[in-house]
Amino acid sequence: MLKVLIPVDGSGNSLRAVRLLIEKAALYKEPLEIHVLNVQHPFPGTVRGVHQQSEQYHHDEGIKALAEARQLLDAQALKYAYHIVVGEAGETIAHFVKDKQIQQVVMGTRGAGAVANMLIGSVATKVLHLVDVPVLLVK
Amino acid sequence: MIEYLANPVFWVGLGQIIIVNIVLSGDNAVVIALAARSLPPQQQKQAIIWGSVAAIIMRVILTIVAVEMLKLPYLKLIGACLLLYIAIQLLVPENDGEDGIKSSGNLMTAIRTILIADLVMSLDNVIGVAAAAKGDNVLLMLGLGVSIPLIIFGSTVILKLMDRYPVIITGGAALLGWVAGEMLITDPVLVDWIASSMPWMHIHLPLVGDISWIQILGVVLVIGAGRYIASRDAEVEVKMVDLAEAEQQSKSN
Repeated sequence: MLKVLIPVDGSGNSLRAVRLLIEKAALYKEPLEIHVLNVQHPFPGTVRGVHQQSEQYHHDEGIKALAEARQLLDAQALKYAYHIVVGEAGETIAHFVKDKQIQQVVMGTRGAGAVANMLIGSVATKVLHLVDVPVLLVK
Repeated sequence: MIEYLANPVFWVGLGQIIIVNIVLSGDNAVVIALAARSLPPQQQKQAIIWGSVAAIIMRVILTIVAVEMLKLPYLKLIGACLLLYIAIQLLVPENDGEDGIKSSGNLMTAIRTILIADLVMSLDNVIGVAAAAKGDNVLLMLGLGVSIPLIIFGSTVILKLMDRYPVIITGGAALLGWVAGEMLITDPVLVDWIASSMPWMHIHLPLVGDISWIQILGVVLVIGAGRYIASRDAEVEVKMVDLAEAEQQSKSN
C-alpha cells in the first residue's frame, strides 16, 4: 500500500489535486491508501471558555471544506480516510505525514488564503521544507 | 470641529481604535456565536441578543470606570502590563486548557458562558480602547460605538477574517504592544522620570511624530513572546486531535 495524503481546504487548487490523483491512480503499481486532511486555523487564545464549541465549529467547517473532495472520491468509488485537525496548516500537514507515515503528498500550490500566502509564504512552501517524502504540487 | 477632523493624530487614533476593536470585540462575538450554536434555532437568537446586550452594557460601564481609573498614578502601568498579556494571548492559539462549562444545549448554560466571556473580554477591549484613545473622549466614544456593531453582526465576518488573513491578528497584537508602550510612558509616575533620566528613549521622526523606544520594545516583546509560546505549545502538543476520527470509526464498523 502506498500512503498518499491530499491536504484539502476546499479551494479550486486543492480540488485539482484530488482530481489529478483520481486520474493517475491507475498508474501506481501499488494500491493507494488515500488520506484527505483539512487543517482548520485555530482561534486566538483570547477566545476562552468555549473549547468544546470551537471544536464542534472546526469539525463542521472541516466537513464543509472536505465535502467536494469527498464527493469526487466517492464518485470513483475510491476508498479513503478523511481527517480534520486544528493547527497551523504547514506544520500540521508535516506532522501528519510523519505521524501516519505518509509516503507521498499531493497538494495544490496555493490555497484559499491567497493574500496571506503572498505575505508569509505559502503553505506548500512550508510543507516542502518540512517533509522528507515526495510532494506533488498541482496548479 | 473642522480643525479636529483635519488633525492627523485624530485619524491615526481612530484607525488604531478600529483595529483594536476588530481583534478584541471580534473574539467576543466569536464566543457568543459559538456558545449559541449548540442551542435550538429559536433560543440561538435569544442567546445572541442577550449576550450582545450584556456585552455592550458591561463595556459602557467598564469604559467609564477605566477612564477615571487611568488618571490615577501606577494604574496606567498596570493597564500596560495587562495589555501586553492580552496581546500575547492573541498570538497563542486557543487550546484545550480548562473547559469549565460543558455545552449541554441549555439556554441558561449558554447565557452563563456568554456572560463570563463578556466580562473578561469587555475588560480586554476597554483597556485596549482606553489605551488607544489616550484620554481623548471623542475617540473613546467612537471606539465604544464601533465595538457595538462588531459584537452584534461581527461573528461571521470575524471568523472568516481570522481564518483567511491571520495577519490581522498579528497586526492587532503588534498594535496592542505599541499602545501598551505608550500607556506605560504616560503614567503620571513615570512620565517625568523617563524624560529626565532616559531622554534617549525619545525619538522624533518626521511625518510620524514623537515616538519612544518603549513602544517599539512593546511590539517586539509581544511578537517575540507570542511566537515563542505558540511554537513551544506546538512542540508540547505532539498529539494531533483528529476531529473526524470518531465518526469514521463508527462508519467503517
